[in-house]
Amino acid sequence: MLSNIFLKSLRDQRKSLLYWGIGLIAMAVIMAFVYPTIKNMPSINQYLSELPESVKEMFGLGIIDYGTPTGYFGTELFSFMVPLLLLVFGIGFGANAIAGDEEKGTLGFLLTNPVPRWRVVMDKFGVLIISMILLGFLFWAGLAICIMGLGIDLSLSKLAEATLGAVALALVFSALSFLVGCIKGNKGMTMGIASGLAVLTYLLNTLGGMVSGLKDYRFLSPFYHYMEPNALANGLSLAHILVLLGLVIVFFAFSIPAFIRRDISI
Amino acid sequence: MSNSETIINTTKLTKYYGKQLGIEDVDLEVKRGEVFGYLGANGAGKTTTIRTLLDFIRPTSGLATVFDLDIRQSSVDIHRRTGYLNGELALWENMTGEDLLKYLGNLRGGLDWKYVRELAARFECDLPRRIQGLSMGNKQKLGLLQAFMHKPELLILDEPTNGLDPLMQHQFYDLLSETKKEGRTVFLSSHILPEVEKVCDRVGIIRQGKLVTVETIETLKSHSVRKLEIHFAGTVPRDKFSNVPGVRDIVVQDNLLTCTVVGSLDALVKAAAQFEVVNIVSHEPTLEEIFLTYYNEGKKYVK
Repeated sequence: MLSNIFLKSLRDQRKSLLYWGIGLIAMAVIMAFVYPTIKNMPSINQYLSELPESVKEMFGLGIIDYGTPTGYFGTELFSFMVPLLLLVFGIGFGANAIAGDEEKGTLGFLLTNPVPRWRVVMDKFGVLIISMILLGFLFWAGLAICIMGLGIDLSLSKLAEATLGAVALALVFSALSFLVGCIKGNKGMTMGIASGLAVLTYLLNTLGGMVSGLKDYRFLSPFYHYMEPNALANGLSLAHILVLLGLVIVFFAFSIPAFIRRDISI
Repeated sequence: MSNSETIINTTKLTKYYGKQLGIEDVDLEVKRGEVFGYLGANGAGKTTTIRTLLDFIRPTSGLATVFDLDIRQSSVDIHRRTGYLNGELALWENMTGEDLLKYLGNLRGGLDWKYVRELAARFECDLPRRIQGLSMGNKQKLGLLQAFMHKPELLILDEPTNGLDPLMQHQFYDLLSETKKEGRTVFLSSHILPEVEKVCDRVGIIRQGKLVTVETIETLKSHSVRKLEIHFAGTVPRDKFSNVPGVRDIVVQDNLLTCTVVGSLDALVKAAAQFEVVNIVSHEPTLEEIFLTYYNEGKKYVK
């Protein structure tokens, strides 16, 4: 684990990945085990269906139906909790990778060695991608095992597609956080900008569903491209996922020259 | 390789942080095999110079080469051939010293571990311990180890003896003189003057971002300030000396005159010769005094 920057950075994440992985799996397990009970409570479904449309939009719920697994898991997990947790992890990771290490001084120390700056950016970004995919996989695997064990009628491949969508969404803001860190090595500012934009674009998407003037701008929000296909029911839509991945690639592409050009504080 | 080969060369190297001056028009030349001391107070620009040479920060204007390689274009090659110790050492706290050196060794494409162990033994490094638990001095020893472990041609050391106990300082001085004997080059920044006096061949003094002077230790001492006591047979009038060029801080007490002299003693000796001189006591100036003179007076006394 000490033979290059990629492996060393992955090694530095092992504890964090372990705890986040356990958290995500625990969430999946609890939600799965509660489902059979909820399904058989008609009062909840009635209550939910009677919520005003605007409230449903606000929570990004669209059609809520706890009577079907797709409705239940889509609402409980994929409309908010999974993307939120992945976003928190990813934005924190993105901010720490360059800006955080720079503030600690260890990034400068690393760069005293014969390693080019682009290599540091590439390796750290690679660890970000791998970590996100790993967390997504752990969550998916945890939920998949429960679903099979409990005999819940939910397509595992659709579940994988929905998880992948959430990972892609979180990667957009993680990559943004990473990029801001490369432009300016200030961790607080980096996290602020990335999470601020996440909140704003989230609101743009949900409010856009209610306010007619905003409707035409919803496409600007990554959340729109995540939510719109309703991947748990319909699978991913290629166009929407490409938008998200395109943003990730653009942010990464700008990270390298941004970091190469500037002064590093050590 | 000849001894006159230039290892570090800067031409009008200038760095502004926004509007704030880092260094300005620094012209430096360090030759192979030299131990070059870079002296200055905190904030004078020592670290700015070093960080520019190692391409952490980019010069506003001016040029610099290390090993005749451009610092911007060839920074990775320069790093490969250089050992660097940062003044504000920040290591990965969650590793052991051993793992740290392994990792750095891998980044350098391998190490002579026999030599690393030898160095670790000399500096009594506790390699299996996690860095988190190490004292500042023990971290500094690891910092020295990683700078020296790949036997680099050039060592750039920013305040290297920070936190080292006297015994370890001696180890370090020994290591420096071995390094010099092997024809390798050392660029050492410090504000600890006896240290520089002890180990350096030449000294550059930097003040408020400007290189005030570069001299050999001997020259620096010879045309700089020294304290002088002249014992006369009888009392002498103060005003006979107050206009002698280069003489300052004159105190006359009965038949004893004390003063400080800048540069040549000739004028003072001739003035004193009008009276019967019993004894002249010259105090060899410490680098501290030289240093303070340059600091207080700026360029005024540089030849």
